[in-house]
Amino acid sequence: MNDRHILTTENLSLSYGGFRAVDKVNLRVRRKTVHSVIGPNGAGKTSLFHCLTGGRRPTGGRILFNGEEITNRSAHARVGSGMARSFQITSLFQNLTVRENLRLASQGRDGNGALVFWRSAGARKEHTELADRVMERLGLTRKAAVAAGDLSHGQQRLLEVGMALCGKPELLLLDEPTAGMGVNDIPMMTELIADLGKEYSVMLIEHNMGIVMSVSDTITVMSRGGILVEGKPEEVRADPRVREAYLGEVA
Amino acid sequence: MNATGEPLPAQSSPGRSGQRRDASASLCSRLPGGPAAVVAALLVLMPVVLPSRTMATEILIFAMATLACNLLLGYGGLLSFGQAIFFGSGAYLSSLVMIHGGFGLLPALLTAAVAGAILAALVGALAIRRTGIYFVMMTLAFNQTAYFIAYTLSDWTGGDNGLLDVPRPSPTLFGVTLVDLSDATAYYAFTAALFFLIFIAVRKIIASPFGSTLIAVRENEARAGALGYDTRNFKIVAFAVSGAVTAPAGALYAMLLNFAPLENIQLSMSENIVIMTVIGGTGSLLGSLLGAGAWVIISDILSEIWPRWLILTGGALILIVLYLPGGLWGGVESLMRRFRRGGGTRRTPDGVPENAGAAHPME
Repeated sequence: MNDRHILTTENLSLSYGGFRAVDKVNLRVRRKTVHSVIGPNGAGKTSLFHCLTGGRRPTGGRILFNGEEITNRSAHARVGSGMARSFQITSLFQNLTVRENLRLASQGRDGNGALVFWRSAGARKEHTELADRVMERLGLTRKAAVAAGDLSHGQQRLLEVGMALCGKPELLLLDEPTAGMGVNDIPMMTELIADLGKEYSVMLIEHNMGIVMSVSDTITVMSRGGILVEGKPEEVRADPRVREAYLGEVA
Repeated sequence: MNATGEPLPAQSSPGRSGQRRDASASLCSRLPGGPAAVVAALLVLMPVVLPSRTMATEILIFAMATLACNLLLGYGGLLSFGQAIFFGSGAYLSSLVMIHGGFGLLPALLTAAVAGAILAALVGALAIRRTGIYFVMMTLAFNQTAYFIAYTLSDWTGGDNGLLDVPRPSPTLFGVTLVDLSDATAYYAFTAALFFLIFIAVRKIIASPFGSTLIAVRENEARAGALGYDTRNFKIVAFAVSGAVTAPAGALYAMLLNFAPLENIQLSMSENIVIMTVIGGTGSLLGSLLGAGAWVIISDILSEIWPRWLILTGGALILIVLYLPGGLWGGVESLMRRFRRGGGTRRTPDGVPENAGAAHPME
């Protein structure tokens, strides 16, 4: 196992009946890089993501995280190992405040350690402090006491990523962080992701080519469940097979 | 709202009233001494205002059961129609250990609490394997099972006749009798003290890491799981706590009546507990006391007027659900807000999740 890679998949497969949504994918995510997975609709990106986050059990192959096999580990247990995810469709605690959302996210790293009655929820200073730091970073400090559901869509998308940050992950799995974002908000997210790539290992699933090309260190292009091309942004951009795959979708 | 795939009945209404809870909590904290002081005042007033001590005691017993149901429904989003399992078992078990085992009052109550917690954890662990309407049906099925077990074991439970001659021992410490509970006022005082302790404990539980996570699970289970919480554990523990409170309530009821009727474990008891929770307002602990009080008082008055009184309580329930979606406490709260203009502003003290959410109509 190469220590340069935080996440490795070996012949990872996921079939629904006879349909192979993910077909023998060998993926290597290097530490402290932004690794994007792109591909036309139905290429298997989301199915791959589900396997990595623990949402679906792969039907074949292995997933190694930090050299440790996590193929059958549950989604919540993966947080404890150092993985955190964001959702494509914003998934926040809508009626709770921004600060409480982030505090709960920080506390989540404790897992069953949160099964505690005799303390006040705010007593663990490290959780509230981490929540405040992430809030600061997202520029949401002024919105601390606002219900998450009352934020603008762009702010909700930022909070969505911030929730993942509170898990103190080594690897961040971001599922289309710009989904539904307006043109004006997108630069903010691009900047954030590029910034995160210096501190964390980031795996990004994204539709927006502009973002993918500007922030990624490595791009994996998926098509029909398998890996079509992998390489640096400029290599991927120049590859005729990629153009074909995307054009095929348009036609 | 429905991103977790959780069907709406169990999740949506508590979610909405949860917002009311947040508002009511801040309203209460503006009252001198906070909710605990309000409850203490009510506990002192109740025996004075109400026609009988027995009725006041009955209200508190059902308020305990309602509080426990509220923890599941209002904070965990878990609509359990199995609360009578714990209420009835608590009544039977404590009675049996007092009759056959010579247990004193406190050991009997403790037995009920422990047994209630274990039983509720078991029922919860199985029922939460399904969500939404199927979860509700599971709790219902467990209640039916428990009822027929109690009915069949008539040697122990008295079956249809109920378990007769349940004693009401006085609490003793090192052989010294502390108070004589055969007196109605003393028994009320004992129940009130216990209720007060439970009320404070449940409040603390809700403000704890466990409670705040339970609210998170209610709000968005998928996200809670993705943050690292094994949401099943939180639901099971919520059940255990609920059982540990409901079963002693059943025990106190048996001691109040000197009798443990089969009705204690019947499905209709579960329904009553849920109704009291909803009438009072889910997600508000003071509401639970209000709901239990309203139910016991209204039932008492109406049953004297008309033998078919349940029709009227049904009508009252419909009216409350239609016009007071936050329950009675929600109504009290909006009345108070109308009296003090600008009272709608919320305070959110640091790190207190009970006050942490902002009231906001999402739907």
